[in-house]
Amino acid sequence: MLRRQAMKLMGSVALLAGYGSVALADMPAPLDNPGDVKIALVRYLSTGDFFQSYLSGVETQAETIGMDLRVFDSRQDAALQADMVDQAIALGVDGIIIQHGLTESMKDAAQRAVDAGIKVVAFDVNVENDAIPQIEQSDYLLGKLALEQALKDNGNAFTAGYVYVPGIAPLDRRNVAWEEVKDANPDITEAAVFGTLDNPIANSIANQARSVMQANPTISVVFAPYDEFAKGVKIAVDEAGMADDVDIYSADVSTADISAMREPGSAWVATVATNPAVVGEVSVRALALLLTGENPGASVVVPPTLITQDFLNEQDIKNMDDLGAQMPQFQHADVAVADWMPLPTR
Amino acid sequence: MTRETLLTFAIRFGFLILLFCMVIYFSLSANGFASPRSAAFILQSVAITGILALGVTCTLVVDGFDLSIGSVATSALMLSAYAMVILEMSAVTAVLLCLLMGAIVGLINGLLIVKFKVPDLLATLGMMFLLIGLQRIPTQGNSIATGMKLPDGSAAEGAFSAAFLWLGRHRFDLFVEKLVPVPVVIFLITAVVIWVFLELTRHGRLMYAIGSNERAAALVGTNVNRYKIAAYMISGVTASIGGILLAARLGRGDIASGNNLLLDSVAAALIGFAVLGAARANAFGTAIGALFVGILLQGLTMMNAPYYTQDFVKGAVLVLALVFTFYLSAKRSAGGKT
Amino acid sequence: MKTCEIIGLKKSFGGNHVLRGIDMHLSAGEVVVLMGANGAGKSTLVKVLCGFHGHDAGTMHLDGVAYLPTDAANAISHGVVTVHQSIDDGVIPDLDVATNLMLNRLTEPGAGVLVRDGALRRAAQKVADNMGLTMDVRTKVADLSVADRQMIAIARAMAYEPKVLILDEPTSSLSASEADRLFSLVDRLRGQGVAILYISHRMSDIRRIADRIVCMRDGEISGMFEQSPLDYDGAVTAMLGHSMTDVDIGVQDGGQPILEIDTLALSRGSAPVSFSARDGEIIAITGLLGSGKSELAEIIFGLQRPKAGQMRIAGRAYAPQNAAQAVAAGVFMSFKDRSTNAVIPDFDIANNMTLPFLRLFSRATVLKGRSQRQAAQDMIRRLGIVCQSDDDGIGTLSGGNQQKVMIGRWLLKGCRVLLLDEPFQGVDIGARRDIGAHIRETAKGRATLVFVAELDEALEIADRIIVLNEGTIAGQHQNRNVDMEALIAQVSGTSGAQPRVNA
Repeated sequence: MLRRQAMKLMGSVALLAGYGSVALADMPAPLDNPGDVKIALVRYLSTGDFFQSYLSGVETQAETIGMDLRVFDSRQDAALQADMVDQAIALGVDGIIIQHGLTESMKDAAQRAVDAGIKVVAFDVNVENDAIPQIEQSDYLLGKLALEQALKDNGNAFTAGYVYVPGIAPLDRRNVAWEEVKDANPDITEAAVFGTLDNPIANSIANQARSVMQANPTISVVFAPYDEFAKGVKIAVDEAGMADDVDIYSADVSTADISAMREPGSAWVATVATNPAVVGEVSVRALALLLTGENPGASVVVPPTLITQDFLNEQDIKNMDDLGAQMPQFQHADVAVADWMPLPTR
Repeated sequence: MTRETLLTFAIRFGFLILLFCMVIYFSLSANGFASPRSAAFILQSVAITGILALGVTCTLVVDGFDLSIGSVATSALMLSAYAMVILEMSAVTAVLLCLLMGAIVGLINGLLIVKFKVPDLLATLGMMFLLIGLQRIPTQGNSIATGMKLPDGSAAEGAFSAAFLWLGRHRFDLFVEKLVPVPVVIFLITAVVIWVFLELTRHGRLMYAIGSNERAAALVGTNVNRYKIAAYMISGVTASIGGILLAARLGRGDIASGNNLLLDSVAAALIGFAVLGAARANAFGTAIGALFVGILLQGLTMMNAPYYTQDFVKGAVLVLALVFTFYLSAKRSAGGKT
Repeated sequence: MKTCEIIGLKKSFGGNHVLRGIDMHLSAGEVVVLMGANGAGKSTLVKVLCGFHGHDAGTMHLDGVAYLPTDAANAISHGVVTVHQSIDDGVIPDLDVATNLMLNRLTEPGAGVLVRDGALRRAAQKVADNMGLTMDVRTKVADLSVADRQMIAIARAMAYEPKVLILDEPTSSLSASEADRLFSLVDRLRGQGVAILYISHRMSDIRRIADRIVCMRDGEISGMFEQSPLDYDGAVTAMLGHSMTDVDIGVQDGGQPILEIDTLALSRGSAPVSFSARDGEIIAITGLLGSGKSELAEIIFGLQRPKAGQMRIAGRAYAPQNAAQAVAAGVFMSFKDRSTNAVIPDFDIANNMTLPFLRLFSRATVLKGRSQRQAAQDMIRRLGIVCQSDDDGIGTLSGGNQQKVMIGRWLLKGCRVLLLDEPFQGVDIGARRDIGAHIRETAKGRATLVFVAELDEALEIADRIIVLNEGTIAGQHQNRNVDMEALIAQVSGTSGAQPRVNA
């Protein structure tokens, strides 16, 4: 018993040494002793740049506050994800972040966590629970901003190709924006809708887009609201030698996307993105607020940022770090913050 | 024509006739289908799966199977990106590294099957998972692109060299300017090489003998183990060629499981069984099988068919081909021409 | 009391008459041994009895009631139970002894959904005790010895309380002491009044167990022996036959020795085998199952290592590690059971024939199709293979012609030693003559060893006959006025221990 106490003490000392620079003393209970606060991240999706980046955001923010983070990864197994919430409850965590998942499988598990007195936030999954704030990167706004840029660049009469796979929640939400824009601008012709999630996605989309471009040479705008889609369309447009005739508008961003957008003569002119790391940070901060008894609100929306090819070229942005440096609104979202809350150092 | 000769005719030429009819149909109904560019697109869209399918054909010939080809391809994709972007190696080194990786994976597959007696499906399934995981370890699951942040905090300085991208993007002039992409040329060369190897050399003939009656082949003094290992190594190397071309086309090291590559190429190889009534794995049939799927998907996409109908159609073609192979050919009298 | 009576049973497959009118009976508490060489029709008879095949003519009765099994399960329900040669057909290796013994109970309609292990084990223990089995019923069957597995298979068969129990070569993979345990089990069952049909041509089994011997040859009963003491030599004669054939061969003494077999031990503990095979000479190696015939062939072809002794070819040491090395040393072997060991079903005649020597028919590894076909056509002509052309699928040929292709394969190229294991298996008399004549014509320049069980075949082809028994040479005969009595005595092992040379 004594020994365990001693270990704990040593652990706290180490933590204090590590994060001595941040103002620990001022945090409200229970975060006045953050090393004892255990939180869990229960993930449904984990492979891919976006999810890697999200995880890094969660990790840095948790580390900055000094909380003890456990990561549960169900790798797209909905039942396992629900079991993992129960595991986290059994582990006696103080807070849980549910990252993606299915409403049906997570609803009950989330309720059990709330019943056990655990604070819960959910990212990108609706668990239909008033006690659980929703963290959202607004997919609707992502689509909306990209399309507004398209209208600005091309006027409100053009022939468009649209890449869409129904049944994927974020794509469905982005689709709402597309439908609205189409209804509001009757002179936009939707010449072709295509899409696939066959792996590797960019390669499969490129094959499809080649055929579509061949069949519909009048297309001048492609709305590809997912960066893998945009990448595939760009490959096809380059191969067809139509880079000058077609503009691609997309969503999401990564280092590789930046270099693709900045290739000379690239057809990929704009993308709209939320920094997944920022979303991760916001998730942790919202949970921290909840733990200290503050209310972050039922819905915490992380606003997206428009990134244009011109901006990237003007600022000579090469990677995500450069982008963060040149575009502070991309590096940090002023959402779910408090005076006492330490933010990750940039 | 008697019933018998009609049946023989249907088995031999049924699939080619179906292919021909399909081309006619799409030419009439899909705008822009019948053009040299369109033909080049189709070839390009099947080049990578076709190359993988030719490799898996070699393992099918020795009555084996290779489930790891998809992940070998994506591993080659990641490896080439890692070599050029992070280790800043030259295009030639990156390509050689990938080919070596494919050969080693094939060797390990072969040894697992031949020496450790692990059934082929299980050995290559294990290898598939292993590679899907392994390719993500060096970059902690991130895709590789120029400028990416490395674990030590610096940014990756290397880039895909122009010579490497040429492999995926350059197009040769043929009648029309910039028509035939490099992957198509490599696909055709691979197809011819594998065809010559399997059909015309004694090594190929012995591999067919092993696939038909392994014991009998061993008892005439064939080194069965060596040929089986060779088949898996060929499969590994062709899969890595596919991965290199994929990397050159995408221009970045995307993480992907490669399972769709696996399924599409296996489908092509199995459809190949039905071509010319061969009723067994063969390089010509595999190439035609890949083309068949490619034409079908190109035509459907041009006609704006949604993506899920494409999977459906792919499945239907495969089932049809398997019926051709296993039902009709079995009805025909035993034995065949070799 | 005749438990099972068979009268005038006939069965043919296409034009091939496998059973030509079998009359026999089995009585309660009696062990009838059925002897017959490969292809005599024993296995077809068993398959008809156990319901696997229907029959064309004749009747079968069980306890005086007509017996017409529709399938294997139906035969079992009539009380005719068979334990097949391949043991693992009779047991489920991954389950324990108790489950194996009780398996048929589990499949009965009305068996509970849940398996009650305790009750199962008690019931199994009772069965095991009844059969004199001593092993722990919780042992996994895969962990048992071959003999124990065989016992379990028989015990499982006994769970059906059979009237007739058919044992198909049950000792083929057992050691002598294991076989003893099996025999005491058979004795016990005989005591319980079961009619037992025991298929074997191992003389030691037959001596130990038989109450009566029935011999089959060419689909007919060729002999029946019931007077005690049983006439074992008569039985072997009836099984193998030695009606002198009308083939007239000019016996060669041969030239220089090519293959020398020097004190080779075929199996652990068996007396050494020594002989030499000469240039141009054809030696028939004959003997019953388990005599060491197959071991000798496999050792010479490099598939087995000798326990002791050495071999020489043309005076130089020869110790092949595998088939490839044997072929490289000029030792060719045509195997028995061609469909599993020789035929490539996907290939045509030319490719089947040229398979071992593709290197000869290729330049820089690319095959020269024309020279392949040329060689095949040549061999087709020499052996009189009946076919449309050399690109016929091998499966379109009759058995005899397929066998000619398989033999022809090894005659394409000259060799030092040619081993032919049962070259006349499943071959009609015409094809047999063709093959034999061609082997004799081409015998110069090599030593030829022909491994045959049937004495007729040996007498038809060989210059010299070597008889193996219990892994060692029981006798040698130049093929001139062979003393058939002595030969048969040596085959059946009743001639006394001294090997005799009858030159």
